[in-house]
Amino acid sequence: MTWMIFGTMIVLLMLGFPMMIPLIAGSLIGFVGLFGGFGQLDTMVQQILGGIRPASLIAVPMFIFAADIMTRGQSATRLIDLVMSFVGHFKGGLAIATAGACTMFGAVSGSTQATVVAVGGPLRPRMLKAGYNDSFILALIVNSSDIAFLIPPSIGMIIYGVVSGTSISELFIAGIGPGLLILVMFSIYSYFYALRNNVPTLPKSTWAERRQAVLRALWPLGFPAIIIGGIYGGIFSPTEAAAACVLYALFLEMVIFREMGLKQLYSTAKSTGLITAVVFILVGAGAAFSYVISFAQIPQHILGSIGIDEMGQYGVLFTISIAFFVGCMFVDPIVVILIFVPIFAPVVQSVGLDPVLVGTIITLQVAIGSATPPFGCDIFTAIAVFKRPYVEVVKGTPPFIIMLLTTAVLLIFFPQIALFLRDLAFNK
Amino acid sequence: MTLDDKHAPKPDPDVIAAAETAAVDEDDIDDSKYVSGLPGLLGVIDVGIARIEAVLLAIGVLLMALNTMANVVGRYVFGESLFFSEELNRALIILITFAGISYAARHGRHIRMSAFFDAMPFRMRKMMMIVIAVVTSAAMFLLTWYSVDYLLSQASRGRLLPALQIPQWWIIVWAPLGFFLTGLQYGLTAIKNLIDKDIWLSTSTLEGYDDSAEEEV
Amino acid sequence: DTWRYAFEEAMEEVQGKFAQKFKEEVEANSDHEIQLFPFGTLGESADIMEQAQSGILQFVDQSPGFTGALIPEAQVFFVPYLLPEDQDTLVEFFRTSKAINELFPPLYAEQGLELLTMFPEGEVMMTTTNEVTSPEDLNEVKFRVMTNPLLVGSYQAFGATPTPLPWGEVYGALQTGIIQGQENPAFFIESTKMYEVTDYITRAGHNNFTTAVMANKEFFDGLSDEDKEVVQNAIDAAFDYIVDYQDGLTETSLEKIMEAKPSMTITTLTEEQRAPFKATAEEVEAEYLEIGGDQAQEILDQMKADLEAAAGGSEG
Ligand code: NA
Ligand code: NA
Repeated sequence: MTWMIFGTMIVLLMLGFPMMIPLIAGSLIGFVGLFGGFGQLDTMVQQILGGIRPASLIAVPMFIFAADIMTRGQSATRLIDLVMSFVGHFKGGLAIATAGACTMFGAVSGSTQATVVAVGGPLRPRMLKAGYNDSFILALIVNSSDIAFLIPPSIGMIIYGVVSGTSISELFIAGIGPGLLILVMFSIYSYFYALRNNVPTLPKSTWAERRQAVLRALWPLGFPAIIIGGIYGGIFSPTEAAAACVLYALFLEMVIFREMGLKQLYSTAKSTGLITAVVFILVGAGAAFSYVISFAQIPQHILGSIGIDEMGQYGVLFTISIAFFVGCMFVDPIVVILIFVPIFAPVVQSVGLDPVLVGTIITLQVAIGSATPPFGCDIFTAIAVFKRPYVEVVKGTPPFIIMLLTTAVLLIFFPQIALFLRDLAFNK
Repeated sequence: MTLDDKHAPKPDPDVIAAAETAAVDEDDIDDSKYVSGLPGLLGVIDVGIARIEAVLLAIGVLLMALNTMANVVGRYVFGESLFFSEELNRALIILITFAGISYAARHGRHIRMSAFFDAMPFRMRKMMMIVIAVVTSAAMFLLTWYSVDYLLSQASRGRLLPALQIPQWWIIVWAPLGFFLTGLQYGLTAIKNLIDKDIWLSTSTLEGYDDSAEEEV
Repeated sequence: DTWRYAFEEAMEEVQGKFAQKFKEEVEANSDHEIQLFPFGTLGESADIMEQAQSGILQFVDQSPGFTGALIPEAQVFFVPYLLPEDQDTLVEFFRTSKAINELFPPLYAEQGLELLTMFPEGEVMMTTTNEVTSPEDLNEVKFRVMTNPLLVGSYQAFGATPTPLPWGEVYGALQTGIIQGQENPAFFIESTKMYEVTDYITRAGHNNFTTAVMANKEFFDGLSDEDKEVVQNAIDAAFDYIVDYQDGLTETSLEKIMEAKPSMTITTLTEEQRAPFKATAEEVEAEYLEIGGDQAQEILDQMKADLEAAAGGSEG
């Protein structure tokens, strides 16, 4: 049944069916096969509804909404002008700033999807104007969002910590090293990309111009203040910070800049709702599909047959990496962690691996997987938000995925990338 | 560097223009220009439903922002959390998703991977589009049936939402409704493709990823 | 046959241990195989409950707190200072209680469920960023509780500001200071690392976390007498096992916490310190009677009688 499910899904996807259909078909075959008929399809509906229910998902429409308001009005332009006045004259400066913004945003958001929307929404038009190729931009945004998953806070690390009984504080600190390493790699790649493709640079701004840019950006600088100050000041949860950004954006664009009237407010809200629906029906259908995989114990069957108990440390780490990478191509990352971690726990312990290292590698693989075709959730978020075809969104990803997988391999051979800061902080 | 990058060093002005105005012109669907695929009175009803979907989407999103912030204000200003806040958000996200999927189906906005599809010759594309619309419609009607089933079993169990103290099933009535209207849209799309010479993504959207230009046709 | 059993915790937590023992017993004494589904792998608590009701799952472990939406009477387990702190009395109560063994099963049966057993998971403790020795210390403290009217009522009566938060956000919220406290049994505080982001553990003795194991009723009624006996024996064996397992679990968990974070302060409140907390119980009890369904009064009275009997029984 396993191969029939995956085969059908890929064929339907390739034929150009709406993406919810492969996921729904995969679940349907599963439900009918598992329960010998259509009798339990109400549980499939339950799972679709359950998939869109988690409270943390609310941050996604809120950031879509805030980013949309900012981009339609003045806020985004003024903020980016400010950044450009400092980095515009560097080769690849804007691309590096984008990766940097994802990293900074990652310090407040635990979700890759929210990062794609909040950072990518305002920055993509500017990068296009600056002369970057769209598929490079889309790939940069989608993959830089992985950094947000590694930089604390991270939903993935919290779930891993709870399921495996590993210190969440240690995991959080261990994520910083690999997160920054990826930022460095992406920055270097962006620099050479800009060099190779002759992306023009801006003339270096004078300090007077920079001062001017700062003044113009004073109001919009309230956004980072709300997000970072609000969350670390203990006022908001990340979801609430997203909603606060919406209200602040409305205040700026409707009251201060007077760029937006009630009519545009209505259109923006409607468009946010539409994007949300298109993404969330896939999240829901994906949850139903995850249920089938989990219920049929498919991972257990596959992993049970490869003899992981015979492997050494490196073998185990590579197997884990591959399992999570492949798993996240099809199934929701959180569910993959919930199912896989208990399966691997005994062998991780028996070969004497540091659970914090394993958790960091898993978090990285989960992030990579969520940006990988065919069903990575960041991909369909990017398609919906940027309204670009599927192929356009995934075309530029290979170099980034190679860099990310290189990071994963480096982590396996040089665990200190993750553990150095942890050991320093916890005196180990 | 990928091959593609070398071939495309210059930005495509159309793409830039589209991205810049992303939100303003191209992206905004003008509901007053929406033409239903249904004839006569049914068409009038359908246009009305489209309007309601649009309003529900906008109001759902706005309410979600307000509700989330009201909880913060309650916590800090009045020292009292709004216990229904999370449940209300859950209700709203279900409303948005299911009002949105049929609205997206109307305007051909559902995400699909069209690379291979686009490479096919016209006749095959047309046939394929009919197959896609029929299969999608069937899947939606199937889910309509079983979400009614789920709804009824929820209603019979009498589960209450802990904070709002209203029956759980009240917040999921949108699911069968959304699936049904989506199934209807795809069904109409199949018919439109059968009777018209062009290829239609939805009853109002001609093939091609950007629906904006064609929508007024 | 293959039977499926889902629960609300991870494999190595109390519900998981119980389930593993149950599986071991059933598989040793019959040809049936049991598949275990820990927390989150088949959906949230409400989802697995529905799946058990519809027969996809044969067994489910759900705590009465969550069942409250379905069986309001089950919320009796949230009335503070109702269950005894003494472990022997507590176990004796769960074994012999008429309320549990006779009054609750028909209520579960109405929902298509066979109530197999209820068992305690451990004393509920508060973990907070500030020291708590009296209700005054909870003043202005934003305290995360599950969305249950009685829990909310309890902490309101204690003087705190009950704050609902999805479980996934609790750790982060304690770290950044959105909330300053939460409550759970010691093993859960240890396994979910709540001690990393709080500094004080307070044992006010106000409750013991209770959970229930159920079977789909149609499935259970359809079993042969022989299989029913296998299931019942396995439940009994798992119950004995979990009582043993818990003996000292609280202490071990607290020791692990102290080892991982020596700066943690664990305070067991004295009877005197507890008095003002206990004084609020009546208020919550009244609320329970109001929202606890038709049989709330009957269940509460019977539980009190059972507890008295258990206290006598375990002493004598
Ligand atoms: Na993060
Ligand atoms: Na990502």
